[in-house]
This record gives sequence, structure tokens and C-alpha cells, in this order.
Amino acid sequence: MSTTEERMSAQKRMRLARSGTDTVDERLGSSKFLTSVLDKIFPDHWSFMVGEIAMDSLIVLIITGIYLALFYVPSSKEVVYAPTSGHVYIPLVGQRMSEAYQSVINISFNVRFGLIMRQAHHWAALIFLAAVFFHMARIFFTGAFRKPREMNWIIGLLLWQIVALEGFTGYSLPDDLLSGTGLRVIYSIVESIPFVGTWLVYALWGGRFPGTSLIPRLFVVHEFLFPLLIIGLLTAHLMILWHQKHTDFPGPGKTETNIRGSRIWPQYALKAGGLMMLVAAVIFLLAGFVQINPVWIYGPYHPYTISAGAQPDWYLGWQDGAVRLWPHFEFRSFGHEIANPFFPGLLMPGILLNIMFAWPWIDKKIYKDYGPHNLLDRPRDKPFRTGVGVAAVVFFVVLTMASGSDILANNLHVSYEAIIVILDYLAVLGPLAGFVIAYKACQRLSQTDFHPIQRPVGGVIYRTPDGGYHTVGDVHHGPSHDVPADAGANGGHNGTASHAEGHVDETVPAPTAGD
Amino acid sequence: MIMRLLKNLRNRRVLIGPFILFGLALVAFSVLTLTQSTAKAQEALVSTNPNDIAAGAVLYSEHCQSCHGYQGEGGVVGGAPALVDKGAAAANFYLTTGRMPLNAANNEAIRHHAFFNPAQIRELDAYINALPQITGIGGSGPTIPSVEPLCANQGTLAAQSEKGCVTLSEGQQLFSINCAQCHQAAGSGNILSNGNVIPSLNNANITQVAEAPLVGPKPMPIFTELSHAQISAIAQYVIYLHHAPNPGGFAIGRIGPVAEGFVAILGGFCLLWFAARMIGNRG
Repeated sequence: MSTTEERMSAQKRMRLARSGTDTVDERLGSSKFLTSVLDKIFPDHWSFMVGEIAMDSLIVLIITGIYLALFYVPSSKEVVYAPTSGHVYIPLVGQRMSEAYQSVINISFNVRFGLIMRQAHHWAALIFLAAVFFHMARIFFTGAFRKPREMNWIIGLLLWQIVALEGFTGYSLPDDLLSGTGLRVIYSIVESIPFVGTWLVYALWGGRFPGTSLIPRLFVVHEFLFPLLIIGLLTAHLMILWHQKHTDFPGPGKTETNIRGSRIWPQYALKAGGLMMLVAAVIFLLAGFVQINPVWIYGPYHPYTISAGAQPDWYLGWQDGAVRLWPHFEFRSFGHEIANPFFPGLLMPGILLNIMFAWPWIDKKIYKDYGPHNLLDRPRDKPFRTGVGVAAVVFFVVLTMASGSDILANNLHVSYEAIIVILDYLAVLGPLAGFVIAYKACQRLSQTDFHPIQRPVGGVIYRTPDGGYHTVGDVHHGPSHDVPADAGANGGHNGTASHAEGHVDETVPAPTAGD
Repeated sequence: MIMRLLKNLRNRRVLIGPFILFGLALVAFSVLTLTQSTAKAQEALVSTNPNDIAAGAVLYSEHCQSCHGYQGEGGVVGGAPALVDKGAAAANFYLTTGRMPLNAANNEAIRHHAFFNPAQIRELDAYINALPQITGIGGSGPTIPSVEPLCANQGTLAAQSEKGCVTLSEGQQLFSINCAQCHQAAGSGNILSNGNVIPSLNNANITQVAEAPLVGPKPMPIFTELSHAQISAIAQYVIYLHHAPNPGGFAIGRIGPVAEGFVAILGGFCLLWFAARMIGNRG
């Protein structure tokens, strides 16, 4: 459908790109590689870009993190806060605190750009994890983890775990009241591991809680170990994606062996670059206008202090919520006691994680489908898998809510005990209800083949010489005015007319045109 | 247009009006603040004037007697406590925070608009204060505390050794040891077991904050181990939190990571989700 003008402008762009690669070629001889890279085609469904939001947040995290590391002092050495110059936070003057906490106060009040960098770093982490969860759900619900992509599913899960732990170590570094409370909870959970727990916490903390060796160790982990692992695994994640090529939803002209979408250069690069700018913009807008973690109000951590309403950051809320909801029983046998926090804090998440790691193979068994797939499933076409996914999401949301149970009770004017009982029931019954509702909804949807919120997709509309219309390849039975008549031979899929060079949206003529 | 504005400004007659207005406002403001502070200082004292006590007795018989008894002996309805030994601090705390009088005896005493006006509260305080003498039973309870002032050189270590004044640093430490576990580190309040609400301290005035540890409004205990200076330091710190320098933008309720998570997901991620939807194609 591209007109002559569009073709000419596309050729012009192509020439520009070529001249660029030629410049490189004359010096490095890598033009062939670059050309193939820049010509690679990515499908452009919007949901595929959410993973990029995560990656862009990571870039913001690295940049702001480097800045913060220039001023942070990873030391538990006790100092007395008594600054003689610059801005002073008066209520802390004369207080004993760790050097780490003092440096965070100085970053917040005295370092140029310190506070906005700190806040951007924290907001970016929260948004990063939100994008990770969304991306993970998208992969699960559309069956993108199926052969040949099981490896990337596992790498993705590892990334999620390491990123969450990275977030927790970052939460702990300021050594304020919330940090210390969080560390104390983790100390107890690690200590509850049967047989080895006590030895393990002594090894990790270098002695009893709180000790003086943990903050420098956390710094090394937060600054070097986890970032290296994240960057390494992310590189593998993307290289595998590159090699295996991106999946796409089924649609007209899309097969298991082709890719339709935009070339990396220039269309996709502009889209991805624009999104990256937007991610940075939103993070820094939040950092500039909304306060996050005012450590100066929480005060330095001492083991004898605690604040009400102490919660972890939201992405660890589900584990905190599990600890809050778990019934209080203890388990004794063979003269050993397995302490209560072990079950909700480690065993339950451990079992869930193992199921998630094994899911690609469980899925194979369920659907007796061992072949490779490059086209995605629509969630409605796999009611069981979608049901399991919805159950998991409901479980996750209920546990996350449980993490804020005190705030919830206070704001809803319900007693705390009632909230715990309600959430306990919700944590068990909610996922079951979620599964059943999702399962039934999927069955109904795949019978009628309606999109729940959008007009129908797929199919090719033909205009007959006498002015009539009919659809081939689409099984929807909705009212015909759902599809605009002027969509013409473009089909319902891409809606608008052609975009640019590299975007394939010509329809494939149906082998037999019906009547 | 800007040039014209500047030209007008150079013509000084334009500025006379605003100057007069500003001067008048300044005078009015300083008069108001000065009279207000003296009025407050008087209010903090408990009256021993027999007229006030008599007026308080009348108010007591109208509004309090049906539960707390004829002369504050308590126990008429439900668990209404004796008031003889509770002191003026308790009366003042419960009345100024609107916790008393209750609509029904089994209601929870939570913060409301004050039912009585300040003059009436003063009279009732005087009556409760005089109860031990009137009835001849029970020791006298705590009187309304006067809060010690803040030291002058707050920003330096020198303030720590000054006498007759308290520091915010002391207040912050005492608050995080004694108060934050229920009232939350920023004084935002929370909830306890059995539906007991822990009030936010954002609406409390300095006298009320100083009275609470002396009075122990249940389930809050009486903090007998805190000295007068320590209670003053806590009260000064809580009031400081109302207007503390608050860098970093909107405080989103100061309730910690829950609110932050909501903002990050609903404000941050959803915006970017929308952006991705706009940039990408829709299936």
C-alpha cells in the first residue's frame, strides 16, 4: 500500500543509515554485522514494551546509584551528628548514629542533587519491580515461556529474585529505623532455617544482631555482586531473545516462521528511545515532587527502637504479608523445633518459586504439547493456564495487602484482628475463586471470540465488486458495524494505513475467497 | 508589556497603597500573635478562683455527673472512672480533645471537636482540680503541665548542656523510644489490637501532647518514668514535626512504604504502561 512518496522517503532514510554503516565499515569493517543488527525486525505490540520499561528503569538505577555511591559511607562506626557547615537537620544534632546513616542524611541535605538522586533511585526501584511483575505476567499468560524459550523464563525468574533482593539490600543500606526493622525481620527468618539457621545468621551478620560488619557487606552485595549478576543475566536474557527472535500474537499473515513489525533502525529505535526518555521523565518527576523514605524523620536505627507502620517496599510485601497471615503454630520433632517464620518466610515462597521454575515443563505435560512455538497463545485459548495465572495474581495481591494490614485496618475502620481473618480467608478462597472465574470467562470468550474491551481482531475483510463486504478468517459473530467499512483490504489487524518501510502490513490474499 | 509594568513600578505613587496595606497587615499580625501567646500562657494554668470552681460544678452536674458520679466518685454507669484523683491534666486533655463527654457510655473515647468552649473547659478544669479538697478523699492528680521552651542554639552541640530548656534532638530520641512504636515515627497514628485506634498527632497541640503521658488515655499507659523535661522535649518535637522542613516534595501522608508503593504503581508505572500502549501497536 505504500505510495511512491513514502517509498522515496524510506529509501532516503535507508541511504542515511547506509552512509553511517559505511563510515564504521571503513574503520572497523563491521558494516555487515551492523546492517543485520539495524535491519532486525521487532513486532510492535504495546505489551512487548513493558519489559523495556524495566530495562530503562535499570539504566536510571545504575546512573543514580553511581552518583549516590560517590557520597555514601558503608560503615557502622558510631559517630555523633554535629555538622559545622551546610544544612543541618536540627532534631538529629548530638545523636549517636552509624556513619552510614549520617552519610545518607548528608546526601539528603548537603550534597548537590543528593536528595533528588536518592529519591529517583528509590522510585526507579519501585517502578522497575512493577514493570518486572507485569512483564512476567505477560510472558505467563501468553505462553511465551514455551519451547524454545524455557531457558529465558528461568533466567527471568532468577532476575526477578535477584532484583528483589537488590532492592531489599538498598532499603537496608541507609541504616535508619525502617532499614534496621527490615533487617531484624530477615535475621529472624534466616535464623528459623532448621539446623543451619543459627550458624547462617552468625556467618552473614558476623556475630549477633545488629553487629558492625553487615552494612559494609551489604554495600559490597548491593554495589557489586547483585548488579553484576543482574547485568550478566540481563545480557543473557536479551541475547537469547535476539537469537530466538521475539514472539508475536497470531494474526493475519503471521506464522511460526516469520516476524512482522518494525526494523530496529529507525522505527523501533525511535519507539524504544522515546519510551526510555519517558521512563526517565516519570521517575524524575516523581523524585522531584513526591517524597520517598524521609530517613531523617525515621531517625537512626537502634535495636531498642521501632516504629508502627513499618513495611517493606511493595515488591517484598507479599513475603511480609505471608509472615503476618501465617497461623501461629510451632513444629517440634526429634528434639528439634522448626520456628514459625520458616514456613511463611521461606518454605511457602520456596515451593511457589519451584513451581514457577518448573512451569514450562508442567505446562507441556498439561497440554501434551512438546513442540516449539513462536506464536503466542491468547490467554482465553488456554483456560487452565490463565486460571492458574489469575489465582497466582490474586494470591500475590492478597499477601501484598496483608503487608499493609495495619494501615488497611486503620483506614477502613476495621479492627486489626478482623482484617487478619478476612485476609486469611481471602488468601485461601480468593485464588480458588479467581481460578474458577477466569476459567469460565476464558471458555465463554473463546466460544464467542469477542475481545472483552476491544473490537474484534483478525480476519480479512473483502469488498465485492457490487459494494458488499464479507470477512474471511474471522469467526466473530458480533454486529457488523464493529468493523469500520473503510478498513478495506487492510484487514482489522493494523487498522491504520501503512506506517513506513519495514512495517509489513499488506494482507495475504486468502487462498479461496469464500463464495 | 513587561517594560510597561517596570515603568509603572518606577512611578512610586503606585507603590504607596501596597506599602500602607503591608504595614497595616504587619502591625495587625504582630498584635494578634503577641496577644495570642499571652492568652495561651494564661490558659495553661489551672484556676483556683472559687467562681470558676462553682461554674465548673454546674457544668459538671449537667454534663458529667450522670456517669462519673455526684462528686467524681465514678462507677455510676459502666466503667466510668473516678475523677477525684485524676487531676486537671486529665480533665483538660479529655475535654480539649473532644474525647469527653461521650454520646453514649459504651462509646470509644476518640478525638472529636471539643464540646465545650475554652472558658467552660477552664471552669471544669478548676472544678476537677478542686475535687480532692471538696470531697476530702484521694490524692491530687497531675496538673496541666507547662512545657519547657526550646534551647536557643538548636543546631549545635552546645544546646545539649543548656539548663532550663529542651532540645529537639532529645525529643526525637525519646519519641522514637517511647511513642513511635504506636504513634508511628512521624506521628501519623496507626491501629492496635481490639479495634483501639492510635490517633495521629498532627492535630494535637503542645499542651495535649504534654498531658497525654501524664494522663494515660487508655490504652495508652501513664509514662511515670518520664520526667517533666523529657515530656516537654517530646511535646516540642511533636509540634516541630507539624511544621518541620520537609524537603523532597509531597509527603503522601507520611505512612511509609505502603503509600509509596501505591504512588509508584498507580502514578509511575501506570503512566508508563499508558505510554507504552500509545507507542506500541494494539493487537
